[in-house]
Amino acid sequence: MITIIGTPRLTAPAANERLRAMTTSKQHAPGTPTNISIPEQTLSDMLHAMTPAGADDADLYVQYSESESLALEEGRVKHVSSSTSQGVGARVIKGESAGHAYTDRLEVSALMDTAKAARAIAAETTSRAPVAVHATEKQHALYLPENPVAAAPMLERKGLLERLDVFARQLDPRVKQVFASVSSSFSDIRIVRMDGAELHDVRPLVRLNISVVVEQDGRRETGSAGGGGRFGLERMLVGEEPERLAREAVRLALLNLDAISAPAGPMPVVLGPGWPGILLHEAIGHGLEGDFNRKGTSAFSGRIGEQVAASGVTVVDDGTISERRGSLNVDDEGTSTQRTVLIENGILTGYLQDRQNARLMGMQPTGNGRRESYAHPVLPRMTNTFMLAGDDAPDDILASLDRGIYAVNFGGGQVDITSGKFVFTTSEAYLVENGKIVAPVKGATLIGDGPSVLTRVSMIGNDLELDPGVGTCGKDGQSVPVGVGLPTLRIDELVIGGSET
Amino acid sequence: MKDLQELSAQLVELAGKAGAHSVDALSVADSSDSIRVRHGKVESVEHEDSRGIGLRAFVEKQGENGTQLAFASASSSDISTDGLTRLVDQVIAMAQISEADPDAVPPLGADHPDAQQLTNWQQKHACSEPAWHRDDAMQAALACEAAALDFSDKISNSEGAESGYGRMRVAYASSDGFAASYEKTSAALSASVIAGKDDGMQRDYAWDRQLTGKALRQPEDIGHEAARRTVSRLGASGIASGAMPVIFEPRVATSIIGHLTSAANGRAVLQQRSFLGESVGQAIFPEFISITDDPDHPQGLGNRLFDGEGSQCRRLQLIDNGRLTALLTDRYAAGRLKTVPGGHARRGLTGDMGIGASNLVMQAGNLTQRDILLEIGNGLLICELIGFGVNGVTGDYSRGASGFLIENGSISRPIQEITIAGNLKEMFSSIRHVGSDVTWFGSTAVPSIAIDGMTVAGQA
Repeated sequence: MITIIGTPRLTAPAANERLRAMTTSKQHAPGTPTNISIPEQTLSDMLHAMTPAGADDADLYVQYSESESLALEEGRVKHVSSSTSQGVGARVIKGESAGHAYTDRLEVSALMDTAKAARAIAAETTSRAPVAVHATEKQHALYLPENPVAAAPMLERKGLLERLDVFARQLDPRVKQVFASVSSSFSDIRIVRMDGAELHDVRPLVRLNISVVVEQDGRRETGSAGGGGRFGLERMLVGEEPERLAREAVRLALLNLDAISAPAGPMPVVLGPGWPGILLHEAIGHGLEGDFNRKGTSAFSGRIGEQVAASGVTVVDDGTISERRGSLNVDDEGTSTQRTVLIENGILTGYLQDRQNARLMGMQPTGNGRRESYAHPVLPRMTNTFMLAGDDAPDDILASLDRGIYAVNFGGGQVDITSGKFVFTTSEAYLVENGKIVAPVKGATLIGDGPSVLTRVSMIGNDLELDPGVGTCGKDGQSVPVGVGLPTLRIDELVIGGSET
Repeated sequence: MKDLQELSAQLVELAGKAGAHSVDALSVADSSDSIRVRHGKVESVEHEDSRGIGLRAFVEKQGENGTQLAFASASSSDISTDGLTRLVDQVIAMAQISEADPDAVPPLGADHPDAQQLTNWQQKHACSEPAWHRDDAMQAALACEAAALDFSDKISNSEGAESGYGRMRVAYASSDGFAASYEKTSAALSASVIAGKDDGMQRDYAWDRQLTGKALRQPEDIGHEAARRTVSRLGASGIASGAMPVIFEPRVATSIIGHLTSAANGRAVLQQRSFLGESVGQAIFPEFISITDDPDHPQGLGNRLFDGEGSQCRRLQLIDNGRLTALLTDRYAAGRLKTVPGGHARRGLTGDMGIGASNLVMQAGNLTQRDILLEIGNGLLICELIGFGVNGVTGDYSRGASGFLIENGSISRPIQEITIAGNLKEMFSSIRHVGSDVTWFGSTAVPSIAIDGMTVAGQA
């Protein structure tokens, strides 16, 4: 079992962004349900048909989503695409077993067939009594329930990309290629639980990304930057934010022109604030997901109450931060999201749970049951995962490094849940000697051991930052948007996978 | 099939009426099932039915140099008449916004296969049999997991076994009158188990994927492989950093082929984002390496008669005795590179046209993997890679790895928590041996590959 998180890299623009495609023509007033209309009686009939009397849980997940994407390359906005998707997922759970059926056919007969297919795991023929579907209020309102491009017409988005192209090329004559993309989506979801309670959530998501290729004396390097979240796209179009991202991409690419090979072997590492929190996502977060721990397949299994990090280290997963990429009002089972403390002052305190795993472990769901779409099963997943700030000044932490690596930016990472070994790859890092930066180093993979890496934390910065809104997490082939965060952090030893011995 | 063909044809017609210069459309219907078992019980059953349509439309725009073409693409799962009309209106409106490109190649006059070729293909690759039967798939998953659990006392836990099967139907139509459809089935079986306890736990897996369940390896065989691999990792530890030869066993050697195809992508080369650059005609591998892109191979899951633009797919000796003979191209990249289109357009319902190979087959060498170990003497055998430390622009390579230490020509102990690093260009040219053990993984067939002088980072 291996899982990943990553930023889009310099492939086809936005290729890594697994947003389902998108649309121009439909625009909906804020708060107006855009959902496909399936009569309440049909939903009630489906629940009745699919739920055996002995079921522990059952639900319907009705989804309508639209996405749009524009991408610029070689000076032109050549790629414009949109996608509309709709469908229903039906699920029945009994003990450790689950039956799932998915369809995008919305005729009553197809829906009833889907309900019956979900029941396949159950031999029993008696059904639960029918229930009436009734709307239920949700606790959070963390983002506006609207199409995030309603106030940013496609022409305006195209203009933005063209502006960024010109701007990035003007920054430095060594800029040879600019790739810029803007994507947006919204997903309108209705979850109907076994008792008939129905929760409605509309989730906007936007993303702006820019990558450049620079060339000097025949050497080519790249840099990229991006940002986004659950808010209207117009927010990213005003002010200097797009130009800031372009400057950042060009800065990183030019920096890499001077990069030397990274060293190979164990060394102390200082991680910068923000996106380097990918360390927590890989090393800690995945290993604390309820499914692996119920099954005893995680390197963290059965270790609640044990010390897994240095004192002073507190790590949380928080789905309730307003407008963040990883935030949700309710998870995909209708559970309110919350702030879950995973590690408190070095001690392992909690797991991330969906309803099924929580029930089987005798715990409470934590609002971490997520699915990529109606056509995927629910899994325990992270939302926004970060470490709380400490007391150390970031400058002091860097100054403490006699010889080591200062890593400020990363690409993707991956973890082996069972052995606990994880990797993440630098995209901006420096060799440091006597507390001073010596030179930038080429991208190198850092490898470590999840259950022990945080025991080697020796300094925690007072500068917690969350990432700019670029993370996508993969698990069992399903991608979901997530966030991470970190204060500047010193780890006394990690293996640096450079090519310089 | 007829319904899908009608759907694609209808989209092409509607778009023409709405003023598009030219269009092509794709309709896809998918039906799939999967069953997951764990500790001998059914853990999850999934069934999915879906249909989708994708449309790419070109419109004429007046540019500085006269009339040029711009295009956009859109997809939807709404196949109602209203849905189709909405999709057409949407994609044409978006194409109007998209920038004209003097190099744009509309879906007209492509090198389409003819009616006889279509008929021959459909006969040869007929999917008359179901991909698998539910009960057989369930029994296979149960037998596969049981074989893994029974393999050794050291197997302590299970992530389960999974079987899956499905049928996909695709209908393509373009405004130059070409219309064709095909069907594909596939079936897969995998198992993943755990050995050891607490800090020393290890997990590994094995899988197979074929056109039908009947063609899959025996469930017991897959289960045993998963268990044998898992047990062999027990007691893994680190090694000290240094430069050494590294052998990629076939299941990880597939990634080396993947890096080659990303770099040989014509579009990437045009956009200066491939480390291969202008290498066509040059030796990028040693002379004993040959790699074929074969769109009609009896064992390949990547077989195809035509690509995402309706262009015929032809066999290509991509690497001929070490030499890169061509780049992978769609019609757009071929036009700009001034070569013949390679038939490598890849297209899904959503998003942009991509470029990719069909089946890639690396020619076998003479040595068994054991012979290679003896030849290498001391180094590493890599069995799993993790992470994304590959820079396509520079070729810089740094990934997490696990496998075995090779000492004096034989495996001495399992190793983990290491990285291997180098540069793909140098790695390609530093291949010392390829094995006789060519193994198929879906649409890629590769032997073990031994590469000299990679940097290994770890801790003894």
